[in-house]
Amino acid sequence: MNARRHLPHYAMVLPFALLFAAFFLYPIISGFYYSFHDWNAATEARFIGLANYEAVLKSRDFARAMTNLGIYIAITVPLGIAVALALALLVDSFTGFWANFFRSAFFLPVVLPAFLAATIWRWMYAPNFGLVNMVLGWFGMPSVNFLNDTGTMLYALIAVDVWVSAGFNMVILLAGLKNIPQDLYEAARLDGASRLQQVRYVTIPMLAPILFFVVTYGFISALQVFDVPWLLTGSSFTAYGGRRNALLFPVMDMMGRAFGAVRFGEATAYGFILTFVIILFTAVMFGLRAWRTPK
Amino acid sequence: MISSMCRAALLATTAILTGTAALSAQELQYWVYSDFAQGDALKLQQEFIAEFEAANPGAKIVMSGRGDDDLTSGQIAGAASGTLPDVFMNGLNVGAQLVEVGALANIYPEWMAMPQEFRDQFDADAIKSCSPKPETMYCIPYTGFGEIMYRNLTVLQAAGIDTATPPATWEEWLGQMKKVKESGKFAVPDQTQVFNSVASMFAIGGDKTQWGIDFDKKQTLIQPDGATRALQTFVDMKPLQSGTSRNDQGTKDLFITNQLAFHVVGPWVNPSYEQAAKESGLKYDYVLVPGGKAGDHGGIKSYEFVGVAPGKNREIAWKFASYLTEKKQMARWAKLLARYNANAAAMKEPEVNALPLIVKSVEAVKYAVDVTPPYFVGTVPNCYRSIMTDTASAVADGEYNAADGAKELIAELNDCLAK
Amino acid sequence: MSSVTVNQAIVAELYTWRFLKWVLAICVAVVAVFPIWWMFNVVFADPGTPVSINPRLYPTSLSSGLSKIQIILMETPYLRAYFVTIGYALLTILGMLLIGSMAAFEFALFDFPGKRLLFGLVMLSLMVPTVVTIIPTYLLVAELGWLNTMQGLVVPGLASAFGLFLLVQFMRTLPREMIEAARLDGASHFKIYWYIALPLSRNAMVTLAILTFMKTWGNFAWPLIVAPKPEIYTVGQVVGLFNAPFSHQTVDVVMTANLLAVLPPLLFFLIFQRKIVEGIAMSGSKG
Repeated sequence: MNARRHLPHYAMVLPFALLFAAFFLYPIISGFYYSFHDWNAATEARFIGLANYEAVLKSRDFARAMTNLGIYIAITVPLGIAVALALALLVDSFTGFWANFFRSAFFLPVVLPAFLAATIWRWMYAPNFGLVNMVLGWFGMPSVNFLNDTGTMLYALIAVDVWVSAGFNMVILLAGLKNIPQDLYEAARLDGASRLQQVRYVTIPMLAPILFFVVTYGFISALQVFDVPWLLTGSSFTAYGGRRNALLFPVMDMMGRAFGAVRFGEATAYGFILTFVIILFTAVMFGLRAWRTPK
Repeated sequence: MISSMCRAALLATTAILTGTAALSAQELQYWVYSDFAQGDALKLQQEFIAEFEAANPGAKIVMSGRGDDDLTSGQIAGAASGTLPDVFMNGLNVGAQLVEVGALANIYPEWMAMPQEFRDQFDADAIKSCSPKPETMYCIPYTGFGEIMYRNLTVLQAAGIDTATPPATWEEWLGQMKKVKESGKFAVPDQTQVFNSVASMFAIGGDKTQWGIDFDKKQTLIQPDGATRALQTFVDMKPLQSGTSRNDQGTKDLFITNQLAFHVVGPWVNPSYEQAAKESGLKYDYVLVPGGKAGDHGGIKSYEFVGVAPGKNREIAWKFASYLTEKKQMARWAKLLARYNANAAAMKEPEVNALPLIVKSVEAVKYAVDVTPPYFVGTVPNCYRSIMTDTASAVADGEYNAADGAKELIAELNDCLAK
Repeated sequence: MSSVTVNQAIVAELYTWRFLKWVLAICVAVVAVFPIWWMFNVVFADPGTPVSINPRLYPTSLSSGLSKIQIILMETPYLRAYFVTIGYALLTILGMLLIGSMAAFEFALFDFPGKRLLFGLVMLSLMVPTVVTIIPTYLLVAELGWLNTMQGLVVPGLASAFGLFLLVQFMRTLPREMIEAARLDGASHFKIYWYIALPLSRNAMVTLAILTFMKTWGNFAWPLIVAPKPEIYTVGQVVGLFNAPFSHQTVDVVMTANLLAVLPPLLFFLIFQRKIVEGIAMSGSKG
């Protein structure tokens, strides 16, 4: 009887659940199986226990990739979301044509496929004569070799990253902003709240579910950063990561181990180590949220 | 396991089908590099295909182009699912991976069954690259390159350099580079940035015999003395270089606008420079790369190859591959693209031999070293390449002197290979 | 403090804020748009001039750009690739929106046994990098005989964890009273979803549709391995032919190929963006 009551719910979820099981769950489980095997995708897999995990954890590229990733995430996620939120608020403060205009302009980079954004920025960053260096030159600053100076490469990547993703997050946040009832702002204004206070006490709490989505998704996708650094460094399966591996990230290393060295077992093990890290991160995020909500 | 069962079933059905209907069309998947599937190159490839199809009724060739990495990933995926392309191109440097996943048939029997006259057409060294051990041959070498040195004559003359005789040795070359720098221009691209340019400097400043990997012992063949000399070249070039890698578009642009004197790279850069010579009056030439001593030359070489997949279409696939690489086709191909290839007989054809870029390439290949020898034996791990470029830049940046850098380099390379 | 000075201060603050926000908005717009404008200029420039030396602030030659575009459209399967990619994107969007919103409706608004487990699994899959699953998924598609087919491109991506997550987050804010009221009126479960939940979450659906379109359009790795036949090349694959590192093509041709690749999403966005705005604004005024 209980099952009958729930039947409509299951019926609605069923299509998603079936496709999900076939094309996500099954590949993940199969990948997990292969992570304990010596496997090159074409020939029979050979069980080797934890050797893949050991090989990954001990390799010098892994340490380098994880360090890069840590610094990258610590900067790009908060910065990206702060910029996106600022842009959303900025657009929201305009009305009519100009709101429309600026939103379109800010969103434009999202329209570019990643490969194109990276190709364009490679030019923008070129030493001596690239556009960025030309602008720096106007202010009398020396030319910076952004994509080949180990001190600047990571920041150059973060700039591109924010450029690409800010519009994406802005659209999501804007949709959330539009959902905030105007009377809440009026009430705040009547209470004498300044513009900044309105943001702090009305906008951010009301946006919380959307912000939570944007932050979590930002984390998860930053952890899997791949195509932009791959293209900025002109990487290929046999040589990747840029000068002194300054732009080496875990997914790049995985792709190289998979398609460059044809060690799919090792690449899969690498993937599950990364997954484990991502799960830890997300658990902390959810934990923080659960801890905050009752207040 | 399911997939292998499916494959077996598929093979069984096709066996039955081909047994009963041998005359039905046999479709061959033929994968080429993307720039062979564009423009004039595409037209000529289609011509080859039409000729072959006319001579072999029932065979149908479906050609598709793809970028370098996409060829490799597609072949690996195809090997995994049993849907390999029948005839395909790729580079020697990924040969070992393709052998490992079973994408390449050992074509030694087919090769030996060909008339002596066909086999003699090819460059002997190139054939050796395809044959890692006796009675084993994985490819027919196709197009290739030996590095040449492009010189911007305007820049050199402005720096007061006599351009009549190109620099013969590293010392002479370095002297010219310094003069270029004094005249306010860049001498070379940053040679530490990509593995191929580091390899190239090892062949110029280091020792050509000490290059490559011993996969049995899991050790590098690089020795300290040669490595020290090679690494020193990066220190010497540090103040002279443009900061762009040899593959960057920026490097080509600097060369075209008379900001850069030397560019050591393959023949694929020539179309851009030729166009600039026509349109903006660029004055340039290409010469052999300087060597460690007079009379010798450095630089690297490599080949693209045509491979055949094991499987039901192997026989007709081989037929097509050998047709493509035969002298007549290779001569037409070389003439059209002005690109060197491994068919030595075709390179001697009068109308091919009249093309200066090819003549220079034929000469360059004689001296140049293979980029990552030996081929088809073991996979060169990524760490091997990154250690080479990292150490080159670390030494150039002054983190080590050349001698310490060389020791560090060899230790790290061996460590990388041991894993 | 008199009330006049307070008012003046407020007015002054208002004016500086107004001024600043314009400056800021224009600066950001320039940074966002210029690189794309620059690419356009590279294509419509006199041939032969090196790209990186000359900053290209405006287009100089319309005819040379058009002739390059013509050459590329004639010599490569670009037009067919447009159709394939548009089909790929539209089918993915439709399927994902339907399947995803049905599931999100349940996950966001109802409780049933197994919900937490299933949702947890979906969230978990969001955290597994694609590299891990790409070969097993590919092998599965190969066994289904879906290589080089549209269903091979589309179906594996339909159960999008990302889409579900986004829709669930939005649907959580739907007013439950309306759903309760509809149920008391005797509306069936599916009717509540179709006539109440779907229209109310229009803004989220539109947002997801745009984002999915962009992602599918730019998707490269999956079409590459699952649809290697040239007849079913997507735009990403065709551009890939030009972007190969050792390609003999000159830069302006490469950039033209790239420009052609972004043109449809760019136009799509510019044309439909008013609709998108209306969608967002309408459902926003629900309070």
